[in-house]
Amino acid sequence: MEDKKINERESIAIITSMIARTKERYNLGDGNIMLMWGYLTISISALVWVLLALTHNPAVNWLWFLVWIIGGIASPVMAKRKNIKKGAKTYTDKIISRLWSIVGFSAIACTFACLGLLLISGVDAWSAMLVFALIIVPFAEIANGIVLNESSCMWGGSIGLLAGIFLTCCVAGKVALSATWVMPLFIISFICMMIIPGHAINHKARKNS
Amino acid sequence: MKELDTLLHSQLRLAVMSILMNVDEADFVYLKEKTEATAGNLSVQLDKLSTAGYVSLEKVVVGKRTRTVCQVTARGRKAFEEYVEALKEYLNI
Repeated sequence: MEDKKINERESIAIITSMIARTKERYNLGDGNIMLMWGYLTISISALVWVLLALTHNPAVNWLWFLVWIIGGIASPVMAKRKNIKKGAKTYTDKIISRLWSIVGFSAIACTFACLGLLLISGVDAWSAMLVFALIIVPFAEIANGIVLNESSCMWGGSIGLLAGIFLTCCVAGKVALSATWVMPLFIISFICMMIIPGHAINHKARKNS
Repeated sequence: MKELDTLLHSQLRLAVMSILMNVDEADFVYLKEKTEATAGNLSVQLDKLSTAGYVSLEKVVVGKRTRTVCQVTARGRKAFEEYVEALKEYLNI
């Protein structure tokens, strides 16, 4: 393309052609951040579950912080690399990035609230984190799916949300949350919310490229 | 009939503005790839658009390389919309 004069019809042709060239739905590796969160959460959950079963020591629950520490560092680095590799940030990217930032900040706020309650008044409110992970995260996942028009995100998010509603009812009804059924529910929810959609998005990106 | 903005009524500058209107931001390499322009020509046209206040250019250092990130400004957006309106008048659409 050069710096040459054009007529009005050529102008319209250029505008429509350039719009079409920027309309890529998926790029290679778009599902990687989702996969990182999914595999990380499942690994830590499995580790906590096994250690709880072996030691019966509730202190192993502190390992949950690894999810936020590792994910909180890796996620922005991966997002930045993705944008640099892609070369452009679309409005869709911006919406999704802001959406997940809100989820991240809510997670930090929820963690500090639970920690504060524990340290100040000795109240164990950590079940709120489970509810958070299966209410706020699925909502964001469904919104992500709506923005991307990706059904696997919408379905996965809906499954996670149903699990979250069930857990909220259990907490409200003072049903004892036992690791033997909460952990598998949590892991299955994250497989549906993060692993399956992450692979589905990467698969579609590979097909498009 | 409205006058067509001479700055936008050029093949490469119009292509760059069309892309930037459709994304939040894009870097130099992306624009070069999508417009299939040479680096020198694209650089000159980006400077012209930047001087007119239609785009903002930000140089970001990534590792050992400099990445130029381009974004359309409010003025550029308005100029592009007026250009499209003028085009519609010319073409009776």
